Amino acid sequence: MLLEVEGLDVGYGSSTVVHGVSFHVAEGEAVAIIGSNGAGKTTTLRAIAGMLPGSAGRITFDGDEVLGEPTHVVSRRGLAYVPAERHLFPGMPIHENLSLGAHPDKPDPAQLARVFELFPRLEERRNQSAGTLSGGEQQMLAVGRALMGKPRLLILDEPTTGLAPKLATEAYDALAALRSDEGLTVLVAEQQVPLALGLADRGYVIEDGHIELSGSAADLRGNPDVQRAYLGIS
Amino acid sequence: MNPAVIVDGLIGGLQLGLLAVGLTLLYGLGGILNLAHGQIAVFGGIVGAAVLDADLGMPAAAVAAVASALALGLVLDQSIMRPVYKRRGEERILLSLLVTLGVSFVIDGVLVWRYPSEALTMRVGTGGAVDVLGITIRQGSLWASAITIVAIGAVIVFLQYTRTGRAVRSVIEDETGAQLVGVNPATVRTVIFGLSGALAGLFAVTQSMTSPVTSSSGVSYTILALIVTVVGGLGSARGALLAGVLLGVVNAVSAAEIGSYITAIILLAAAALTILLRPAGLLGTTR
Repeated sequence: MLLEVEGLDVGYGSSTVVHGVSFHVAEGEAVAIIGSNGAGKTTTLRAIAGMLPGSAGRITFDGDEVLGEPTHVVSRRGLAYVPAERHLFPGMPIHENLSLGAHPDKPDPAQLARVFELFPRLEERRNQSAGTLSGGEQQMLAVGRALMGKPRLLILDEPTTGLAPKLATEAYDALAALRSDEGLTVLVAEQQVPLALGLADRGYVIEDGHIELSGSAADLRGNPDVQRAYLGIS
Repeated sequence: MNPAVIVDGLIGGLQLGLLAVGLTLLYGLGGILNLAHGQIAVFGGIVGAAVLDADLGMPAAAVAAVASALALGLVLDQSIMRPVYKRRGEERILLSLLVTLGVSFVIDGVLVWRYPSEALTMRVGTGGAVDVLGITIRQGSLWASAITIVAIGAVIVFLQYTRTGRAVRSVIEDETGAQLVGVNPATVRTVIFGLSGALAGLFAVTQSMTSPVTSSSGVSYTILALIVTVVGGLGSARGALLAGVLLGVVNAVSAAEIGSYITAIILLAAAALTILLRPAGLLGTTR
């Protein structure tokens, strides 16, 4: 199992937001965590990325315990986290943002070419500062930067944040292309459930910090509760 | 106005920039405003003076000054600054001010107490003056400027074109983003604390080529560096250089036209005016 989360409790200060969450991601899979705003998706992902300490449970990546490791160590293991706020380097041009994605190694020209192939817009604007890009372009850059480190697992938090519907669909098309071309393992947290279930093999539904439901993407799409709560079908 | 005054100002300004670069980088890396910066420079200068006293020669004294200031920077980073790094945001800025202010008192106190009359003076070249395009410049000033320009150039190349330099800038731009790509901010901070110390030590060396660096000059160096940093924009290395040169000229011109008693006031006024007109400084980024 590439990523395994078992009985994870995470919170801020004394309040626990995520309670006993367990799920896993196998190599080559795409897994979606769906749920409404404030359900605990981001908190869970931040704990995996080493940005929040967990108060109970285990997180193993490729068999190694990673819960409690600082973010930069987790990142160097090949677990790339793209937060919803993206955290780009706004004053630096696109090409420097991408080079930093490969830190501490030298950027691999082949990987850079692949990122540019996936997001041609980034190549056109390679000398433009990240801070001047549109929301969609910033999202491309955030994903591109994460890919530069040749991650084994790409974790995306709400990749459609701030994107118009057409751009959101494009973002998911790009992720689908990444999966089919390179077999990249993806874990995505998303409020836009139809998009996420379109990409994923499996999904987990998180509500109030608990995993309420899990199953294949097709099962979840067919589930009446999911249809009512997240797909706008009654 | 005598053009030599402007040249003097440029020469002094370059050195101000050299002094301020370390301070501004450290601040950019997460709110450490090092009020002991000038004292670290003087510490290096006094170590250099001791090496000169021992008749080991000027190159050895210069190396000792830079190395000892670098080492002091690293020691501070690894010891008394650790509790500061555990804080975030404003708490960190405040605690860094208090801790480094304390460090500055200790360094000042020890130096003035143990070495009250020690001063670093380096007489480079033949000690005379040379004529450059009709302007008479002391050889010491020429050496100081040349060394400063090379050092500043090296810092810019390091920041702009090396992978470590890029990592440094990434932490200044977005610390979380830097961690996400595998940069360890603590390592970067240690590198910059050391670099900042080394540049302060080098400042003491170049300064001593034109006027003595005494054991009690620390406070005035810190204040000058702070003014330059604020005018240039906290966290901006290029801003520090630009502000250093500008303020150097302002300093020299006001000293020549009005009198040296007024220069401190004029420099502070320039800083205040900058804060009013451009709160982020000349080249600072607003955040």
